[in-house]
Amino acid sequence: MDNDTPAIRPPAEARYAAELARLAAEDNAPKPDGWHLSPRAVRKFLLGDAKAGVNRKFYGDDPLVDRAIVSLMSHQGLMLVGEPGTAKSLLSELLAAAISGTSGLVVQGSAGTTEDHIRYGWNYALLLAEGPSERALVPSPVLNAMRSGRIVRFEEITRCPPEVQDALISILSEKALALPELGPDAVASAAPGFNVIATANLRDRGVHEMSSALKRRFNFETVHPIADPEFERELVLKQLAERLGPAGVTVAGEREVAEVLVRTFQDLRTGRTAEGASLNRPDAVMSTAEAVNVMHAAALEAAYLDNGRLSAAHVARQLQGVVLKDSPEDGKRLRAYVDHIVKERAGRSGAWKDFYQAARALKLG
Amino acid sequence: MDTPILHDKARDLWVVPVRHHSPVCAAHLERLIAEVRPAAILVEGPCDFDPLITSLCDPRTRAPVAIVSLREAGEGQRLRRAASYFPFCAHSPELVALTAATAAGTPARFIDLPSTAREWRGESEERPDRSLLGSEQGFTVGDYVTALARELGCRDGNEVWDQLFETRLAEDYWQGFFADVAQYCACIRGASDPADMAADGTLAREEQMRRIITAARGEVEGPIIAVVGGFHAGAIFAEDPGKPIAAKPGAGRSYLICYGMRQLDALRGYGAGLPLPGYYQRVWEARGDGLAGLATDLVTGFAAHLRAGKGETPPFPVIANAIEQAERLASLRRRPFPTRDDLIDAVRSSFIKDEIPEAGAPLLAELHAWLTGTALGEVPPGTGSPPLVEAVRTQARALGYSTEDGERRTRELDIYRKPRHRAASRFAHAMTLVGTTFADRTGGPDFRNDVGLDRLHEVWAVCWSPLVEARLIELSEAADTLPEALAFVLAERIAALSEQGKGRNALAAIDLFAAACRAGLGREAEAILGLIEEQVIEDPELPSVIAALADLILLRRGRDTLGIEDVAPLDRLTQTAWRRMVLLLPELADQGQDQVAGAVQALADLRGVVELAKSSAAPVDLALVDTAMAELLERPLEPMIEGAITAFALMGGQIAADVLETRLRGELASGYVDPRARLAFLGGVIMIARELLWTLPAILDALDDVITGLDEAQFTELLPYLRLALMPLDPREVDRLAEDVAARAGAAPGSLRIDIGIPQSEFAENLALDRELAEVLARDGVA
Repeated sequence: MDNDTPAIRPPAEARYAAELARLAAEDNAPKPDGWHLSPRAVRKFLLGDAKAGVNRKFYGDDPLVDRAIVSLMSHQGLMLVGEPGTAKSLLSELLAAAISGTSGLVVQGSAGTTEDHIRYGWNYALLLAEGPSERALVPSPVLNAMRSGRIVRFEEITRCPPEVQDALISILSEKALALPELGPDAVASAAPGFNVIATANLRDRGVHEMSSALKRRFNFETVHPIADPEFERELVLKQLAERLGPAGVTVAGEREVAEVLVRTFQDLRTGRTAEGASLNRPDAVMSTAEAVNVMHAAALEAAYLDNGRLSAAHVARQLQGVVLKDSPEDGKRLRAYVDHIVKERAGRSGAWKDFYQAARALKLG
Repeated sequence: MDTPILHDKARDLWVVPVRHHSPVCAAHLERLIAEVRPAAILVEGPCDFDPLITSLCDPRTRAPVAIVSLREAGEGQRLRRAASYFPFCAHSPELVALTAATAAGTPARFIDLPSTAREWRGESEERPDRSLLGSEQGFTVGDYVTALARELGCRDGNEVWDQLFETRLAEDYWQGFFADVAQYCACIRGASDPADMAADGTLAREEQMRRIITAARGEVEGPIIAVVGGFHAGAIFAEDPGKPIAAKPGAGRSYLICYGMRQLDALRGYGAGLPLPGYYQRVWEARGDGLAGLATDLVTGFAAHLRAGKGETPPFPVIANAIEQAERLASLRRRPFPTRDDLIDAVRSSFIKDEIPEAGAPLLAELHAWLTGTALGEVPPGTGSPPLVEAVRTQARALGYSTEDGERRTRELDIYRKPRHRAASRFAHAMTLVGTTFADRTGGPDFRNDVGLDRLHEVWAVCWSPLVEARLIELSEAADTLPEALAFVLAERIAALSEQGKGRNALAAIDLFAAACRAGLGREAEAILGLIEEQVIEDPELPSVIAALADLILLRRGRDTLGIEDVAPLDRLTQTAWRRMVLLLPELADQGQDQVAGAVQALADLRGVVELAKSSAAPVDLALVDTAMAELLERPLEPMIEGAITAFALMGGQIAADVLETRLRGELASGYVDPRARLAFLGGVIMIARELLWTLPAILDALDDVITGLDEAQFTELLPYLRLALMPLDPREVDRLAEDVAARAGAAPGSLRIDIGIPQSEFAENLALDRELAEVLARDGVA
């Protein structure tokens, strides 16, 4: 691989290499076997520590981070469940990077995932030439993690067929994987530090349920959307800056616009406005991550196609793409929101007025 | 620094800052008292509670208990009302201080404003369960605590408190501990608005505390300890020679009652005390043996609770993982043992193998309930609770009801076969009648709706709670035993009934009578019959007299269930009501157009009452009704009423069928402008006796003749009213009538019913297709 070309998105351990190095240098608390950092240092890495110069990376639920870290120290795997876009994958990436020094051991769950992705496959040319051998064996990320005592991430586990998911059961309970092709006694035993972080999406519920045998081997943590609007706004602005910064794009007026956007997302997500009015929730995912996407696209439009001043109208135009993904009914729901709630607010502030005028022009069905 | 933080050497005064229900404060306070050996112990709490200190510290008293104070009786009320509570649990620093004082023979007293003081009322005047613990809101809300929580990585003010203080239970150095509490509380106070403190009475209360402390300083030699909420500690060191406010003599009254963990937790609504007292109780009990096994005890205890209560057995690995999780969380968060939040977090991670909705999971709710606890305290006899409470408690236990905890239980009572169960049922009915929340009947014979009179069992949900005792304490001013309380309440209710517009509500009186009978007060309840009689005699409305009659006959029918021993007074009353009804019947002739529907409904009800009277052999003169009906028929009536009365008379045998037929034909063929009026008579007949439609063929004959004589337009005009008249029929009756009509027209009985055999939707589609085809055919001229 050519290392000179900068990656669009380097992994967490690369992005935060300096912070990780600082934490490791100052870390004198006891570490569980196989861990690169002590549990407290892992916590600092995720939740920030001003003294150590570490920024906060996960927002909204500090006790959840504690529970996740402690679960990973136990025999249980960690299962992160929640609505799409609630930063489950980010959390699993950060935990893996801090604990194992790498977040790259990933199995991506899909309908096409097979047992080979969880256990091992073969280099068929070598297999035919030499017969089954260690050299011909292609280890899965899981097997790699077991051998090196690291964390493997299993993304979207409920997208795999249950029989494939269940290949994890014996790995999690025995912490060993038999390799019968290499001989009757060939077993790969997990080194200390090995564990699994799986993520599952609640919107996929019913696609593939997990077996209760598998569920028992995990500790579940539910990641909820951020409830505090102020907090969410800060997060959106921070992530916007992270995305725009490297591209050298600057826009003005983003604070006020972010407020309108986050308010709108929170209203639509919870089905209740800050004023207490009820509304129909769209089926579409109204996550913080989506909000960041909308802000990003709106900012690019403002910067490249407009005068560089971000307005709520830019955001309104991007909203259509977010809301109309899943069901045509959502268009009507957004229309009702615009006609009743946004209209009311339009009289009170300029940003809401911009938003209202642009949103009214949308074709929402 | 001017203000001493813990000890004013010049006055030898220790002001000990505590948090209500905090085990760590209680434990350090024990150490402090043992070392300082005070000459007097002063405790924050209303000063009029002093006489109860002896009972409170009686070795037989078991916490949680509370001092309940009764408010002065309001205008027109005969009883004082339970107004507010001052609760203690085993780990209340206040109770620990008072107990230590009693044990050492040290004088002890409360130093806050009397419980009757205006300052206590504030905005919660209307709440029946007000707390007399000072508010501790500063510990849970406010910028200071929020900022501190963020800094420490805690989720709220209570976790901050746990992190900073509750974890120091095993320390020996109480000076350092209380100095830190004082410092912390001073910061909270510094962030509070002085205007609020004036408004909510805080400043007035602190003035009282300073004055009583100053007075006490003048009375005893040696160190004095004042145990107060941390929020006030810094404010009460100063000397104040003013005169403390004493309770107005006779204004309020206070008693010691058993209290419950659940209520203790509920009082947190006022911002006082730590949440989930059951958890802290366990910590308090485990303090002597070290807290190493706390997580194991709590997790296995909860698992056992699930097993016992829900029949769910958490697998061993889950339990082991939860213990491990709790201990590791504590260590990650730098705590020497798992605190409340560590434990909840551990159970959350390990026990629940699924998504947790934002509203929370049932298992977590169960954990909260378990950590709250259901224990009720105990107050020994003769120590501050009034005789009524003791009498009722003894009686409840004798009848097999538990007064040990606040758990809601179901009890099934075999009321006919087991005398003890019958007594227990009467007790439960009595407790309901006197207005306690002790028992709730969920199943059993129901006289009012005449269902289940043959049922042998009554099912009750019963729960002994502090609220039950509070109600009994209110009643204790009027009664020393349950029968006395019942008599008192009954008299009050009867008086209230007779005041509420006479003749208005015989039904409420009948309900009260039934309730009194079930509570075993048959004799006393007879007074109610007099009331009902008064009301019935003066009742000018026929419908309500008929409704009362129906209830009276049902009451008589259910006399065994209700435990009515002497039925004679009831019979007399029924006869009175019957006569009143007969007296009012002629008024039907004078009903205005707008009262017709109500009058016909009343007649329909009357027919039900007549049937009921016949079937239960009620001692009423049925002939009186027949005569009245016959007389009515002689007078000009609204057609619908006339139809109803004619049907009534026919059923009673006063007129022959052909009379009805002639009248019906006349009405149907009449010249009324409004076609509705032509069917009114038939409507009246059907309301009273719809069975005549098939038992009396003449009716159909008449209808048939009239309808066949109509042209299409006339028929269409009449049709809606015909349908309206037939509305009271149920589907089965409609079928039956339709068959009769079909047979009359020569069709086979079954031919009316079309059994389609295909789904509704398909049938509808076919019909549409059929129509379309017909249109096409018509258009093409092929039809």
